[in-house]
Amino acid sequence: MSDPTADFFEAIGRRGHERHLEEATGTIRFDLEHDHEVERWLLVIDRGDVRVSREEGPADCVVRSSRAAFDRIVTGRSHIYATWARNELRLEGDARLARLFQRLMPGPPGAHHPRDFAQERRRPA
Amino acid sequence: MSDGLVRLLDGNTFVVSEETGDIDASPAIPTGLFSFDTRFLSKWILSINGERVNALSIEEIEYFETRFFVIPTVPTPLVDISVSALRERTIGGNFAERLTVINHEPEPVDLRIRIDIESDFADLFEIKDVRNKTGRYYTRIEDGCLRLGYQRGMFCRETLISSTATAQVDERGMTYDVRIEPHGQWATEMQVKALGVDGRDLRESLQGRPGRARMQLREDLDRWLAESPRLTCDSATLAMTYRRSLTDLAALRFMPLTDGGRALPAAGLPWFMAIFGRDSILTSLQALPFAPSLAATTVRLLALLQGVVLDDFREEEPGKILHELRYGETIGFEEQPHSPYYGSADSTALWVILLDEYERWTGDATTVRRLERSARAALHWIDEYGDIMGDGYVWYQRRNEKNGLENQCWKDSWDAICFRDGRLPALPRATCELQGYAYDAKIRGARLAREFWNDPQYADRLEREAAELKERFNRDFWVADGEYYALALDGDGRQVDALSSNIGHLLWSGIVDESRAAKIAEHLLGPRLFSGWGVRTLATEEGRYNPIGYHVGTVWPFDNSFIAWGLRRYGFTHEAGRIAEGIIDAAEFFHGRLPEAFGGYDRELTRYPVLYPTACSPQAWSTGTPLLLLRTMLGMEPRGNHLVTRPAVPPSLGRIELLHIPGRWGRAGALGRAHPALTSRR
Repeated sequence: MSDPTADFFEAIGRRGHERHLEEATGTIRFDLEHDHEVERWLLVIDRGDVRVSREEGPADCVVRSSRAAFDRIVTGRSHIYATWARNELRLEGDARLARLFQRLMPGPPGAHHPRDFAQERRRPA
Repeated sequence: MSDGLVRLLDGNTFVVSEETGDIDASPAIPTGLFSFDTRFLSKWILSINGERVNALSIEEIEYFETRFFVIPTVPTPLVDISVSALRERTIGGNFAERLTVINHEPEPVDLRIRIDIESDFADLFEIKDVRNKTGRYYTRIEDGCLRLGYQRGMFCRETLISSTATAQVDERGMTYDVRIEPHGQWATEMQVKALGVDGRDLRESLQGRPGRARMQLREDLDRWLAESPRLTCDSATLAMTYRRSLTDLAALRFMPLTDGGRALPAAGLPWFMAIFGRDSILTSLQALPFAPSLAATTVRLLALLQGVVLDDFREEEPGKILHELRYGETIGFEEQPHSPYYGSADSTALWVILLDEYERWTGDATTVRRLERSARAALHWIDEYGDIMGDGYVWYQRRNEKNGLENQCWKDSWDAICFRDGRLPALPRATCELQGYAYDAKIRGARLAREFWNDPQYADRLEREAAELKERFNRDFWVADGEYYALALDGDGRQVDALSSNIGHLLWSGIVDESRAAKIAEHLLGPRLFSGWGVRTLATEEGRYNPIGYHVGTVWPFDNSFIAWGLRRYGFTHEAGRIAEGIIDAAEFFHGRLPEAFGGYDRELTRYPVLYPTACSPQAWSTGTPLLLLRTMLGMEPRGNHLVTRPAVPPSLGRIELLHIPGRWGRAGALGRAHPALTSRR
């Protein structure tokens, strides 16, 4: 069975370093509800170096949502900020860390480079 | 307030009411209590014995504190008032109203005092047209409190109203039956809390901390004023305008959830109390010599929210600096793109400019080093994503064709970019000032690369690109028969040939060839553009010129402050002084609070500046205008670790002394005296 959330976190763990998180140091824990259980992922970030584990324990920032909602986010089908704004994802602790983490989210499928978009619009129908 | 509405606020929690203190929201008069882009009260009406109240007077004490004196009858000469009421209202922490009702009679009175309460939980984007909302409303009466709620999916907002005096609570309000003794009084304090998910304080749930109480707000305002540079001057108007600007700038400070209580300027009160890329950057630039902390927060926060991916709905691209960030229901359910929305083609270059200017004033090299990756991404955006046509210019064309902005420059109304004959150009569009900003960003980026990032090759490349851009721009944008720069190029490379104020920004950026600067200055101060108060957005002979057209003929104070700065950069001290003088003269008519824009009518014709009717006042970059004009008149520039001044004060302003100017030098002073024979050019 496909598990986009696990794929996403495991890929981060394998890479071990994220250019976009070089300004970040701290811990983020994800509590994702799935089949009445809470699936936990813990990211320990040290200036871009990221260690991923399933450990429990305190974190500077805790993100809570359903696993289904998080699956949509990590596949680019939902936007993490919009999901937060409609309360499907909750945040506790260091909001800056969460905001930096958002940089790892994929964009929506099918988005255009502005140059390609302009060319498409200029092409006679 | 000229529109009969009274505003009070703390950050993006604010109340807009009628002069009685009542709130009775309608599409035409959008009053209410708002927090984080949601309306929490759409009705808050006081009545005494069934009579609505009338305003006797309003005392706006501070931006977070107001007193309303009201009576339950129409004030009539020679008729004694038997009962009056005082509504003391503050915001900060919660919205609180202390209501005192006074009996002026020698007999006791029995009164039924009532507050009608309602909330439509409208999103800020729908207040002009609250549709049938998708969610479910509910009302609960609990322990003498009234709880109003709105739920859509997991999105939840609640208003909780409590009262110190015991009230009879029903679903539509609170009633008090009271007897007041002769010459006695009765009082209650009502608290209104804006709550988010799980009934938590909205600010706490969104920002991680509750709002500030009134005492904290007052201490904070006192500290802000005490830390600001001190101005003494001959002009009473300038002194009043400066004081007003400092206080308004304090009110406009917005504390984002990610920056540990530090503030940046929001765009305008009350509807634009949000993070805007362009507005926050330009206001921070204007205020740099006065309050450099604003710039520090602005560069950091905008870097944190910098674009990473391609997203058509939000018009996001890697490295791009945002346009606007919001919090409401329409954002959550992706009916509006402000999460954030990135539809502005100038904020990215302007951000680089602010970063460099910030370091020049403050010497904060740490921030510049820390933001190297963001700055490189911003500079890369200019060439990769800004250059839609692949010809070395910055262009825009919206990809969100549903609710994205058609014009993504500061003149963002639909008809702002036009040909002389009034036609609108095809997309994409490359407005001239975008090229100036890109040029300046490259020059400044080169300085940062050389001095802080240890990358001289990159610096050389940026300088080479800037020089090529300047040469290309002076060839392609120069309107030969009019001797000025075109407003824009259209998608076919044609010059959008209207004469506009945008050419003034080009002087500020330094992209204007020396040989052409005099001609540009002549246009700016010529009769087609200069109204006597300031430079019009569009020249009087253009097809779409309208003295009260938003971006096609009005005078914008902020626009003029940057134009004056540009004129000084090229040595036109006399011309810069005339603009400063005109705008400060205009400020007198607005009691020191410059509006967003005023009419482009000739000064000789109307004798006073005609107010352009907008809902937002104060507007951040209008508030910043007197500050930048002071910098311009005093010729303040950081040179190494010193503040140098080259004062050029226009004759009518006499003497200007500014003390306690913060910067890398610690604190310094500047003194300027009008010179009777201020001559043009150096």
